[in-house]
Amino acid sequence: MAQQAPGVRIDGLTVVYKTSAGELPAVRNVSLTLEPGSITGIVGESGSGKSTLALSLLNAVQPPGRIAAGSVEIDGLGDVVGLQGEELRKARGRHIGYVFQAAQNSLNPLKTVGKQLLDLGRSHGVDDLRGLVRDAKELLGRMGLDGARVLDSHQHELSGGMRQRVGIVLALVLNAHVVVLDEPTTALDMITQANILKIVREVHAERGLTTLVITHDIGVVAEVADRLAVMYGGRLVEQGPTREVLGAPRHPYTKGLIKAIPRLVGDIDEARALPGRPPTLATVPKEGCVFRERCAARLDVCDTVDPEAVADGPRVVACHAVTVKEHA
Amino acid sequence: MSATLIPETGSAAASMRRNFWRGVWRVMRRKPSRMVGVVIIVGFAFMAVFGPMFYPDHLPGDTNAITKPPSWEHWFGTDPQGRDVLALVVTGSRYVLLSAAVTALITVVLGTGLGLFSGFKRGRWDTVLMRITDMKLTIPGLPLLLVLATVWKFGNPVQMGLVLGLLGWGGVARAVRAQTLSLRERGFIEAARGLGLSTSHIIGKELLPSMAPYIAMNMLIAVTGAVYAQVGLFFLGVLPYESNNWGVMLNLAVFQAGAMITPYALGYLLCPLLAILLLTLGIVLVVDAMDEIFNPRLREE
Amino acid sequence: MTIIARRLAGHLARGFVMILVVATISFFIVNNIPGDPMAARYEKLIEQGMSPEAAAQNVKVLYGFQPNGTLWQQYTDYMGGLFHLDLGVSVSRPGTPVLDVLMEATKWTILPVLAGTLLSFLVGVILGVYAAIKRKGKLGDALAISGSLLHGVPQYVLAMLLGVIFATLIPILPADGPVDILFEPGFNAAYIGSLIEHAVLPVATYALSAYGGWILAMKSSVVTVLGDDFILAAELRGMKRSIIFRYIARNAILPLFTILALSLGMLLGGAVFIEKIFNYPGLGLLLINSVNDRDYALMGGAFLLITVAVVVANIVADLFYTVIDPRVRSGEGAS
Repeated sequence: MAQQAPGVRIDGLTVVYKTSAGELPAVRNVSLTLEPGSITGIVGESGSGKSTLALSLLNAVQPPGRIAAGSVEIDGLGDVVGLQGEELRKARGRHIGYVFQAAQNSLNPLKTVGKQLLDLGRSHGVDDLRGLVRDAKELLGRMGLDGARVLDSHQHELSGGMRQRVGIVLALVLNAHVVVLDEPTTALDMITQANILKIVREVHAERGLTTLVITHDIGVVAEVADRLAVMYGGRLVEQGPTREVLGAPRHPYTKGLIKAIPRLVGDIDEARALPGRPPTLATVPKEGCVFRERCAARLDVCDTVDPEAVADGPRVVACHAVTVKEHA
Repeated sequence: MSATLIPETGSAAASMRRNFWRGVWRVMRRKPSRMVGVVIIVGFAFMAVFGPMFYPDHLPGDTNAITKPPSWEHWFGTDPQGRDVLALVVTGSRYVLLSAAVTALITVVLGTGLGLFSGFKRGRWDTVLMRITDMKLTIPGLPLLLVLATVWKFGNPVQMGLVLGLLGWGGVARAVRAQTLSLRERGFIEAARGLGLSTSHIIGKELLPSMAPYIAMNMLIAVTGAVYAQVGLFFLGVLPYESNNWGVMLNLAVFQAGAMITPYALGYLLCPLLAILLLTLGIVLVVDAMDEIFNPRLREE
Repeated sequence: MTIIARRLAGHLARGFVMILVVATISFFIVNNIPGDPMAARYEKLIEQGMSPEAAAQNVKVLYGFQPNGTLWQQYTDYMGGLFHLDLGVSVSRPGTPVLDVLMEATKWTILPVLAGTLLSFLVGVILGVYAAIKRKGKLGDALAISGSLLHGVPQYVLAMLLGVIFATLIPILPADGPVDILFEPGFNAAYIGSLIEHAVLPVATYALSAYGGWILAMKSSVVTVLGDDFILAAELRGMKRSIIFRYIARNAILPLFTILALSLGMLLGGAVFIEKIFNYPGLGLLLINSVNDRDYALMGGAFLLITVAVVVANIVADLFYTVIDPRVRSGEGAS
């Protein structure tokens, strides 16, 4: 069995997509460490590269994309980027669990959940299939579902929240200790969303996991994550302990994001949308800061020099304006 | 005028059209074979319109050259009456393509009209119309035509085209209905209504232009089927032999001149066969191009 | 179960209407034959000294209704006869009930067409998967083009080309009739060998002309499934390639089974050209001959039989779909 709670170190990761305009980076020079046993949240708008980053953890970037540089070191597994063929296949599911977006159909519509569970077991050479089914039932029960019934159901007979829980079970049942959740609560209603997040937190603690949550919803991150990383235009612009980042954001983009959240109490006009639009693959600036077009604190240097990610204690920020202030 | 009132939709439709033609050009350029398809079809159209003008109404038969293999004088040989096979194919193309044109007209008009009506009204009318098209699509076409051949003589290409058109509009109607419903689902029609546009404007200026490609593609498929069906009917010999049609040639070549037993009549058989194959090739290439233009999923950059 | 029952009831009702429509078409065609052969025959029989009643009875046996009734009476006569499976008597084969002639011909149609359909289905589906997986390469292109061309070429052109090549230019296969008349019919090697030899060209033609449709349908179905989320999900869960392949194949082939059932229904009327060209005495050739002989009872019977097969296949296809697709079974998916 894999040891408990492995750490994950992403270093200098760059993922490019082949387009008619050449290879364009969707993730550029991203470094991020997932501490063993922590929950890290990545927030960003759609197109920020966060899903591509999540797929990179399984070395599963889909063509026409490819990992162009960098490494993803996982304790007990090595550099995932270097894995190939059978080795890579066995790592997926066994060591790294991936939970699909709730709105997506991650199950074969023609087979019952139970049969797909058995397929999963056979794929990973599990000898004790009965034990596997027992584990799955237990996990399902743990999440408030009737295990036997769910295993006997087809995808179309399950609600969105149930499917999501099944997805989590399939990611965990082989004892994977690194779990990636891609938009785990999108398309779910508020109550189901709260339930799923509670389950994520509990299971994480019980099983000793290292968890990465990808979302566009800062609320979700605030709820579950120990650490928060903010992505914009393929770059990691700010990261740090969740409370600190949310309480005192440093990067202008993080500030803008937080300001854009309407509060339940207080004036709706206080919520201010960020001006402009997030860049797409084709419109991301080739040089300089990716955020400068929408930035209130823009400097001359932003046009030409890509800001380095600078660490300050547990916090990392990539912004010229912040660095200048600190050095002044 | 409406363009100034609703600059958004107007320009959207215009740019859609512009993008469309640009897409057509790109797809054509990417595979030159598709250009060939267009050339073939245009060539056949010319042949049907102008070809017969070069020959007398009744082709002269040379009794000294009956069922001859290809030679310099007769490129594809002669038929059992000593007529030049190539001349027969050229003069026969008029019947084939004229009736195909009539079929095309009817399938487009009936299919589009009924499809739009069905997709727009929905409800009971829709159900009834779709049941009818279902039924039409289910009744085996060729056997039905054979049975009809006992009543109609199909001496006139227009008559043939009419019958094939009346039997063949189901596919276009289904495609148009599906398109209308899908545009409706996307809020296209409601939005236009909300802007105060009349139904005729919505149909004429918004729906039809965006659907034209589907209509064209389904029409082409219907027409191909119609060409095969009419040539096939004549080939089966259930219709009078006086008509000038490739199918009559095929029938006589196989069952009278014995092209499948003796090599002498091969030219007689092969020339109309090649004409059909070439026409098929042209249509396949054009449909392939259209498929890629309107089916972005197949378009792999 | 109730859903299946409800669907079945709907299909039966629709099938019934369809058969009614086709029978009505046959009736009106027989009723509107130019030159009115019915009246001519009636008068001829009376001239030959038959009593009017006997003459009317004779005509009724031939055409299914009496020449001098009202239109409605003729119609109900005709339909009444049909529901008793009384398809009348063939003119061109005196003394033989139409039903017997049809059954004899059906035998010759079903076997070759069934063989051709299944062969093309198997080959087309397998190659369709390759065409989809290798769709960016040369092999995929070649497969797709072969499919489009064979799908586009009319059956009779294919039949004639094969006939010319293998019966005229390189005469290695017979292209005339179902069996050599030299051999004694029965269960002996020579006869069966001859049967098989004669079936090669018809079966090959049928298979080749159907293959294009299968490969194209399977290719597009696989391409659709490959884009589905659950395939990526299975990959990310580290499922074995063989299992993922099965997931793809099973989901992609599902819609094709419906088409297969439908095309099996079309098979009775599907070989008209092949039977004519290779002089194969099936239902298609029978239909053509009955049209040429103006044998209306036989013609109407053949047409009706062909249509009934389609209707039945429609019902079977739908029920089959209900059984293999769990989404339909529980009444959620659209038809």
